[in-house]
Amino acid sequence: MALSNLTLPLDLAGLSRMARQNRLDVAEMFMAAGNGHFGSCYSCAEIVTVLYFALLRVDPARPDWAERDRFILGKGHAAPTLYSGLIRRGFLPEEWIEEYETRVGSRLMTHPSRRYQPGVDASQGALGHGLSVGVGMALDGRYRGLDYATYVLMGDGETNEGSIWEAAASAAKFQLRNLTAIIDCNRLSVDGWLADVMPMEPLADKWQAFGWEATRVDGHDLSALLEALRPTREPTGRPRVVLADTVKGKGVSFMENARAWHADTITPEQYASLRAELGADA
Amino acid sequence: MTMMETGADLGASIERRRAAYPLKAIRQQYGETLAALAAEEPELLVLTADLMHATGMAEFGARFPDRIINVGIAEQNLTGVAAGLAAAGRPVIVDGYAAFTTLRALEQAKVDAAYNGVKLILTGQSAGLSYGVGGPTHQTYEDVAIMRAIPNTVVLVPADAREVDACLRAAIAYDFAGPIYVRLGRGPEYLVGDATPFEIGRGKVLRDGHHMAIIANGAMVFEAMLAAAHLADEGIGVRVLNMHTVKPLDAALLLHTAAEVGAMLVVEEHSAFGGLGGAVAEALSEVRHGPIRRIGLADAFPPIGPTFELRDALGLSATHLVRHAHELLGGAR
Repeated sequence: MALSNLTLPLDLAGLSRMARQNRLDVAEMFMAAGNGHFGSCYSCAEIVTVLYFALLRVDPARPDWAERDRFILGKGHAAPTLYSGLIRRGFLPEEWIEEYETRVGSRLMTHPSRRYQPGVDASQGALGHGLSVGVGMALDGRYRGLDYATYVLMGDGETNEGSIWEAAASAAKFQLRNLTAIIDCNRLSVDGWLADVMPMEPLADKWQAFGWEATRVDGHDLSALLEALRPTREPTGRPRVVLADTVKGKGVSFMENARAWHADTITPEQYASLRAELGADA
Repeated sequence: MTMMETGADLGASIERRRAAYPLKAIRQQYGETLAALAAEEPELLVLTADLMHATGMAEFGARFPDRIINVGIAEQNLTGVAAGLAAAGRPVIVDGYAAFTTLRALEQAKVDAAYNGVKLILTGQSAGLSYGVGGPTHQTYEDVAIMRAIPNTVVLVPADAREVDACLRAAIAYDFAGPIYVRLGRGPEYLVGDATPFEIGRGKVLRDGHHMAIIANGAMVFEAMLAAAHLADEGIGVRVLNMHTVKPLDAALLLHTAAEVGAMLVVEEHSAFGGLGGAVAEALSEVRHGPIRRIGLADAFPPIGPTFELRDALGLSATHLVRHAHELLGGAR
């Protein structure tokens, strides 16, 4: 997809094409590396695409722009989904795809890094950190009188981490209306169904009890995401959580809802089949 | 020379010297310095995890209610929020006890501050045995080793209240993109009487001498000075180094000292593993030097006890340093 053809914000058809491109980019990175977190990336492709191509106030020419909207990928192992967004949005060169995890000094690795990647607001990878850092960034925006919005995308399994709930309580105390938490509810974690490993539902009730406004959407429905993730720029008010119901491995039949595809190796045959399903040559 | 004093005489002599020095509580100084800094630094924020009435910050909180953010008893969130607040360059101080700052929230210090390249002043109060009666949950002997092993960190261990003030000011002014860990005591500590400028990364020579050197930081600097004064009366010249910065270590000063003295005692209120003693031994391991004896805490949970008695019981006092000096120099003199 040629960058020069983008007119932002993308319309629904453009977002749909971009989400497909995102999955292809991710697969290309994982094919280069030999393996990757397919399931975790594919469940959040629409969320990241809607943010970067329709909603976030960002400028690739100024990755450190003080007024930019912040995006923190708490579920850092879905970094390739973010990398595709940053590449197609113009923050990172497309050539970086082929060096993903392939050599010493690769600028793209399993988890996102503010150190090496312009456009990444916080290095992540260890689960349970993103929401606290997002609370700090939202607070700093309020103190500085800047109206940027701060988004933190987490996994539903990530909400096992106690630090998430420390951060949830503090965001409600500080009434951070400019903070949006997004939970990618794909219902699977490394060892199986979340309901078996460590049940967290009813998540909406938990977040509401912590003082958050909670909404539930289909995490692959672009128009629903556009509505639910609209930036909140008011400095004070109830923080917002969007529970996005998703399918782990969405878009590739043999990966959907398959525990093993949280992270797995991919064969050339599977890669060809994946590309065909995603309509790579369409 | 009078080095054949009995143990009781030595102890009494040291205590007579000790009584001549004034004391000031570390947390009192911490609160005073932060209040002064709040007035001087309009963007400065302090984050606490429900400890401001324990760390000496109550007056600060009353005078500057908008400059202190209380996240409740949640130290992981404390450091994470602080890193987010500081990411765009705001000066931020994390208030807390050493045990929680460096252990409970260690991964946040590593990932959110050190790896992210965010300057954050992480304070660790009640470190060492300064809260000796608190027992091993609150005594902290591993913090320096932990914090210096993380890449992109600075580790500071000020000696007394005056140096706490200088150290916090230096940390605010220091151009560094990562966590600056400031290890602090708690209650009254003796004032060393040193007014030389504090520079991060530069050890201080508080007293000159050529028979041996005592290298110390934190409250052990005062004990080193007491021991050196006693040893001087015996005709033993002791150079005292205040190595307030464990990282980045002033290796040049150490190499210079190692070349000029016959033996070295390194003393710290920390595990004998991985702290100042470890850092000094690492720095000197590839050069020729006289004997180095590292004085710290053994690999065991200490008993509880009032701070000064507990230190003495565990070998961390001027009396013990004098004995170590006699043993180290016994053959050479």
